[in-house]
Amino acid sequence: MILEMVNDLRNGNLSPDEYVGRTFERIKRVEDRVKAFVTIRREEDVLEEVKRAVKEGRRLSGLLIAVKDNISTKGIRTTCSSKMLENYVPPYDATVILKLRKEGAVILGKTNMDEFAMGSTTETSYFGPTRNPWDLSRTPGGSSGGSGSALAAGYVSVALGSDTGGSIRTPASFTSTYGLKPSYGTVSRYGLVAYANSLEQIGPMARNSADLALLFSIIAGSDQRDATTIDYSPPSSINPIAVKGIKVGVLKDVMDASDPGVAGVVKDFLNKMSSEGAVVEETNLGMVDYVLPTYYIIAMSEASSNLARYDGVRYGYSSNAEGNWKDVYSRNRGEGFGKEVKRRILLGSFILSAGYYEQFYIRALKTRRLIRDSLEKLFSRYDILVSPTSPILPPRIGEVIDDPVKMYAMDVATVTANLAAIPGLSIPAGFYNGLPVGVQLMGRYLSDTFLMGVSLYMENITGLKDITAPL
Amino acid sequence: MRKLERLALISLTEQERQEFMRDLARILDFFNKIDELNLEGVEPMFHPLSTGKLRPDRPNQPLSRDEALSNVPKKKDGYIIGPSTIGG
Repeated sequence: MILEMVNDLRNGNLSPDEYVGRTFERIKRVEDRVKAFVTIRREEDVLEEVKRAVKEGRRLSGLLIAVKDNISTKGIRTTCSSKMLENYVPPYDATVILKLRKEGAVILGKTNMDEFAMGSTTETSYFGPTRNPWDLSRTPGGSSGGSGSALAAGYVSVALGSDTGGSIRTPASFTSTYGLKPSYGTVSRYGLVAYANSLEQIGPMARNSADLALLFSIIAGSDQRDATTIDYSPPSSINPIAVKGIKVGVLKDVMDASDPGVAGVVKDFLNKMSSEGAVVEETNLGMVDYVLPTYYIIAMSEASSNLARYDGVRYGYSSNAEGNWKDVYSRNRGEGFGKEVKRRILLGSFILSAGYYEQFYIRALKTRRLIRDSLEKLFSRYDILVSPTSPILPPRIGEVIDDPVKMYAMDVATVTANLAAIPGLSIPAGFYNGLPVGVQLMGRYLSDTFLMGVSLYMENITGLKDITAPL
Repeated sequence: MRKLERLALISLTEQERQEFMRDLARILDFFNKIDELNLEGVEPMFHPLSTGKLRPDRPNQPLSRDEALSNVPKKKDGYIIGPSTIGG
C-alpha cells in the first residue's frame, strides 16, 4: 500500500537510502531478463529527489513511479519506443506528470511499450521486447507492457500507462496487476504523445485496487490544456462495494471467442461473485464481429493524421537525406518508423483517401455509434459487464507478431470501452497453467470509482493483490 | 502502393513494399466486415464527447526559443535548417 510506504518514509521507519537502494538492487538483479524500462534514471539523482520530497511531506512524497515512455517528462527522454524519438528530450511535462510531481512522486524511469503504442505485446518496440515476469518466454501484453512488468517484477507499486484499445488492461491482465482505462475526458491527454485521440486515455496501473484509486484521483480532473477534459474529481480513497444484488452481465459472445482455459478462470471468478450475492446473467455484446474492424479503421485513420507531424526537421530522427522536402521527409519517416507504425500510417492514409473515405472511415464512425448505443441498452439492464480482458493467455515472444490480424484479434474484449468512452478495469482473476488471467469489468460512463470499489471487494476474496512474480 | 507512399510521405524498401502489399490486402479484407451492416440513417460518431471547452483566449507563459528548439536536429542562430520547399 503506497500510503503506508509514504507514511513510513515520512516518519523515518523507512529511510530514502533503504527504499531507493532496495529498488535499484531489485532492478540490478532481474532487469536484464525483464527489460521493463527504456530509460532508468541514475540512482543518485533518484535518491536525492526522494530525500527532498520526503522533507516536503506531501501526499505521495518520495514514492517511486514508473511512467510509460509516451508520456512527456521534462528533461527525461521520451522515446515512444521508436527510433524516430530515440533522442527526444521533452522541454515540458505532461499534465499528469506535473500533478504527480506536485504530490511528491518521483519518476524512477520510463517504461517500454509498443512503438507509438501500436501493438498488443510490447514487441514492436525499437528497443526490443519486454518479457513477462511470470514466464520470461512470454510477452507481458501491450502496449503498456513495460509498466505491467515493472509492477509484477516488484520494482514499483504504481505506474502510468495509456490505453487506446486495451493497452493498459491487456498488460494488467497478463501480469496479474490492476489497470484502469478511465472514462474518456477524465484524465488530461496534454503531453501524451498522440496516437488516436478520440480513443485514448492515460490511466493508472497498480498492484492493488486502493493504490489504483489513489493514483487515479491524483491524475484525473479538467485541464485547460486539453479541451476534451471534463470537470471530474474522483475520491482519493475508496470503500469496498459489496457485490450483493449487483447486476452482472457476462458477455457470452466474448467468452465464446476466448481460450477455454481463460474462460474457465473467468467463470470461477463469476462463481465467486455469485456466491457473494451478485446477480450474474449471460448476455451478448451483440456487435462482437464488428468491434475490431471499427476500432482499427478509426485508430489507423487518426494515427495517419497524428503522426504526420514527424518530419525529422523540427525534432526526431533525421536521415541526412538530400533533396526536396518530400524526399527528405519520406526518407526520415521511412527510416525512423518501424514496421507496425508504417503499416498503420499507410492503411490510415488509404482509408482517408478520396474514394475510400466513405466506404471505410464514415462507415466505421457510424458503426461506432451503433456499438455505443448497444452498450447503453446493456447498461439499462446491468451494472457491470464482465468478460476476459484478453481472449488468450500471454503469447510467447514471436507468436503473434508476424500476423497483424492475429495480433489485432487480441483486443476483441477491450476496444469496446474505447469506442464507447466508458471505463474498463482489468483485475486479476486467477492463473491457468501458471499464467495470469485477468477479468475485465466495464461500467457506465463515469462509473470508474464504482468499478474500483467492486474490485477492492473482490480482491479480498480472490486474495490476488500485491503479488510479485517469482524471479 | 507507391501512391500510398507519396500520400503518407514514407519511403519503403522494395522488400517492405512487397510485404505491406500482402498485409494491406489482408487487413482491408478484415475491415470489409462492416459492409454487412445496414447503416442507413445512422449519424457518424466523430468524437465520443459532444462538448469541448476552450480556455479563455489569453496567452500563457510560452517556452523560450532555446527550449522550443532544443530537439531540432539542424539549426543555426535560432532558426531551423530545413530542406528545400521549392520545386517539390
